Amino acid sequence: MTVSTLASSVASPRKATAAILANTVLIVIALCFLLPLAWLVLASLDVKATYQTQIPEQLSLANFAAVFNPELTFLPLWNSLLLSGGAAVVTVLASVLAAYPLSRYTMRFNKPFMYGVLFGTCLPITAIMVPVYSLFVRLNLLDSIPATIFFMAATSLPMAIWMTKNFMDSVPVSLEEAAWVDGASAMNALRRIVVPLMRPGLSVVFIFVFIQAWGNFFVPFVLLLSPSKQPAAVSIYSFFGQYGAIAYGQLAAFSVLYSVPVILLYVLVSRGMGGSFTMSGAIKG
Amino acid sequence: MHRNAKLALSVLAATSMVALAGCTAAGDNADGDSQSLKIVYQKTDSFTALDELFTKIKPEFEAANPGVTVELEPIQANDDDYSTKLALSQKSAETAPDVFYEDTFRLRSDIDAGYLLNIDDQLADWDEWGQFNEGAKAAGMGDDGSVYAVPLGTDTRGIWYSKPVFAAAGIELPWQPETWDDILTAARAIQASQPDVVPFNMYAGKGTGEGTVMQSFYELLYGTGDTLYNEDDQKWVVESQGFKDSLEFLQTLYTEKLALDPSEALDPNVWKKVFGELFPQGKLGGTVEGSYTPSFWQTGGSYEWPAYTEDMAVATFPTQNGEEPGGVSMSGGWTLAVGAKTANADLAFDFLALAVSQENALWYAINNSQIAVRTDVASEPTYLAANPFVADVTELVDVTHYRPATSDYSKISAEVQAATEAVITGQMSVDEAADAYDTAVEGIVGADKVTTK
Amino acid sequence: MLPLAPAVVLLAIFLLGPVIWSFYGSFTDAALTGSSAQDPQWVGLDNYLTLFKDPVFPLSLWLTFVFVVASAIVGQNFLGLGIALLINRASKVVSAVVGTAVVAAWVLPEIVAAFVAYAYFSEDGTLNQVLAAAGMTGPNWLYSFPMLSIILANAWRGTAFSMMVYRAALNDVPVEVTEAAMIDGADGIKRLTWITIPMIKNSIATNLMLITLQTLSVFTLIWVMTAGGPGNESTTLPIMAFQEAFKFGDIGYGTAIATVMLLIGAAFSLVYIRALRPEKV
Repeated sequence: MTVSTLASSVASPRKATAAILANTVLIVIALCFLLPLAWLVLASLDVKATYQTQIPEQLSLANFAAVFNPELTFLPLWNSLLLSGGAAVVTVLASVLAAYPLSRYTMRFNKPFMYGVLFGTCLPITAIMVPVYSLFVRLNLLDSIPATIFFMAATSLPMAIWMTKNFMDSVPVSLEEAAWVDGASAMNALRRIVVPLMRPGLSVVFIFVFIQAWGNFFVPFVLLLSPSKQPAAVSIYSFFGQYGAIAYGQLAAFSVLYSVPVILLYVLVSRGMGGSFTMSGAIKG
Repeated sequence: MHRNAKLALSVLAATSMVALAGCTAAGDNADGDSQSLKIVYQKTDSFTALDELFTKIKPEFEAANPGVTVELEPIQANDDDYSTKLALSQKSAETAPDVFYEDTFRLRSDIDAGYLLNIDDQLADWDEWGQFNEGAKAAGMGDDGSVYAVPLGTDTRGIWYSKPVFAAAGIELPWQPETWDDILTAARAIQASQPDVVPFNMYAGKGTGEGTVMQSFYELLYGTGDTLYNEDDQKWVVESQGFKDSLEFLQTLYTEKLALDPSEALDPNVWKKVFGELFPQGKLGGTVEGSYTPSFWQTGGSYEWPAYTEDMAVATFPTQNGEEPGGVSMSGGWTLAVGAKTANADLAFDFLALAVSQENALWYAINNSQIAVRTDVASEPTYLAANPFVADVTELVDVTHYRPATSDYSKISAEVQAATEAVITGQMSVDEAADAYDTAVEGIVGADKVTTK
Repeated sequence: MLPLAPAVVLLAIFLLGPVIWSFYGSFTDAALTGSSAQDPQWVGLDNYLTLFKDPVFPLSLWLTFVFVVASAIVGQNFLGLGIALLINRASKVVSAVVGTAVVAAWVLPEIVAAFVAYAYFSEDGTLNQVLAAAGMTGPNWLYSFPMLSIILANAWRGTAFSMMVYRAALNDVPVEVTEAAMIDGADGIKRLTWITIPMIKNSIATNLMLITLQTLSVFTLIWVMTAGGPGNESTTLPIMAFQEAFKFGDIGYGTAIATVMLLIGAAFSLVYIRALRPEKV
């Protein structure tokens, strides 16, 4: 808003050139970013797809039909939904509960905890996969969907607590104080007043965790072993390993099916509140 | 406060429930109540024979053992990923299989790890064990002399070549190279006469995994007089001339473009291209492959190609300069084993025994082009007539070698694969790659476990 | 504090636990197979001694460093900042299109993005088609330039994050400030370096921290595109740890590599947290 409004109001020739330049550069960038995706879309509709980007001789949904079966698509997608939905619910619940005292009370404990959380945000999750596997063996949790859900929730918790606390900080305390006067407990106030007010923020956290978990390949690849429990990320990988060199079109179709839910979710959330809002809530201290 | 404290508690409770769920499930397994068998094996788009076999005998077995459920868990992955997944599941009793499919070369280290059940007792009561040949009985044996696994079959490796391609290059058929140079001569003749044909491919690099060593490097190495492992001293051989010569041969094949382009050769799926496209289309002169090759081309195989019986031929891989015994082959094979953590050892063994019964072993040998290990299968006319190459590949048993069956083997093998990859991609010279291999081997097994002879 | 309990329990079991385990496990010879699978032994610093002698380790460290610097700090960060700055000057339609294009790569599940990048860079893939149209013969990127391929792929995939952070930050820069500078006659570059950048320096630091650590953990993208090859030419630390631990079954050794990664991550975060302290918490 800032510069662009100015630019149009001043509207000097120099500004106009700058605008043309900006537009051109951005269009080039957009093309570069879209080019790799063109293959995905075109190949999924092309029965004779290869790694080349080409306009299909004949648009066809045959690739989709070929992968549209319970074993290959429905069960893995259902598993993905369980894992991501589960992780997102657990994360949101735990982070709302945790954020409340952190946001509302000043305790000696707050500062080190928030440092710890910030530090946790930074852990390279890939690095802990080897020890996590050992830990899961010890605790007999290998191949358990609930345990995997809790692990995924734990890995996204630091970020989620951070975001939730920031959202909660922006809900004025005065509203709760009124409730306290009416005799409501702190927890009651949280549930009746704070949570409803920060619903948009919480849905951002929910979707943030959901999208991350949905795309996660490494965690279920190591922790879930039964073919019947594999989420789409893993089943798509074995599909690639086996048929990748042959059935490009089906691979692309499968990838599209698997990507659509998160794309829709993202569109939903950014329509609702503007894409940048997501990040400003997450990042601002 | 109360209601929301409950909320907090319920999240907490849910967390601890996971741990509990783990425990109770493990308990279920241990008390022997559950009459279910988990069978873990590999299934790929080009390897479905075992899946078909198990699917066929599952109802049979369940009918014979009322109250028992057989859970088939095919893992869809290549050899490397399959063994990773299998190993990951072996660690905990809850996920460990009751019966599983395993490559012979991994047996020793998994026996050491305590993953396989000692089946001496069960075998003693099983009258069909006597039908297995001595090699087969030894294949599943641990260092303690006990048997832990029963082989489904074995295999050998030789040169598979395309008669039309060789004929077009003016090479006299049947072709049988006597030395490595004979191979190069033939390959160069093909290159000169048919520029769009890959003359002679041999696997290399980490992509093809064990294929690189079993169907390429060891055929070379074991024909030089040197070996990988000194069985007498139980030490790994380093600094051998044979190792360098073998690398150099691969380097020659790849730099002269007699083999596939290195970028294609490093693709883990390159063998599918070899079987599915190159040979059937007459675009490949020859390669080193296993006795199971016909299983891909015969009716019901992944790359059906009826003309293979006419177009293809088998030759023995030669020794470096024609030294005795005049040829080299490698043997491996896969086995079935009972998991050490099984709650129903006898039941699991019964399932295993059914899978390798005369009838089933015969079916499997024919459909997966295995070399039979049961004498009563090997003499069956249908087995001998399964494809035109049964006699050829069975003869190779006379010149065959086995991989060192030690727990370190798979790491050493990975180093050999890395050395071949470094050489064919030009990242290292033959000497550098051999040196890097020596250093790596010493690092893996320790300086006291290597020898120069 | 009871409300904190679920979060604390989850973090303790699933994050702190593995971190502690990581230190412990790296001093044992735990393995997936062989006799030490049954009975892991305490081996002291053996794994670390092997690691420091392993020729792949310095290479892997270097490749990880190159990957992080080139794809995150240079690629994602500058590209993201650039787009965020330009988007304010561009027409509405263009900014919407760019925003969507950049975000699309980011929203895709990682494994799908990896396949797409694999197809794009493969020998007969889209990139070489474009080059061919321009009359050039492109190489087999994944084979000849594996690092460049994964760096570009990661920049492609991750720029959206930086872009969104900077768009949000720039929106918060008060109009009056830039306006005042403009009246003072400061040109674009000067305004950027003296006013805009300092005002969003907090966002820059946070963004750098997050993308550095995200990039440090990238596994799937590299695993699908090159699997660390050819040779070890694109074996970053996560790939090396995975191969040692799960492919070769050497859990103890893989854990030692993981511990090194954790320490690197911890060092980075300490630096960033320190840099942020005055304003934060």
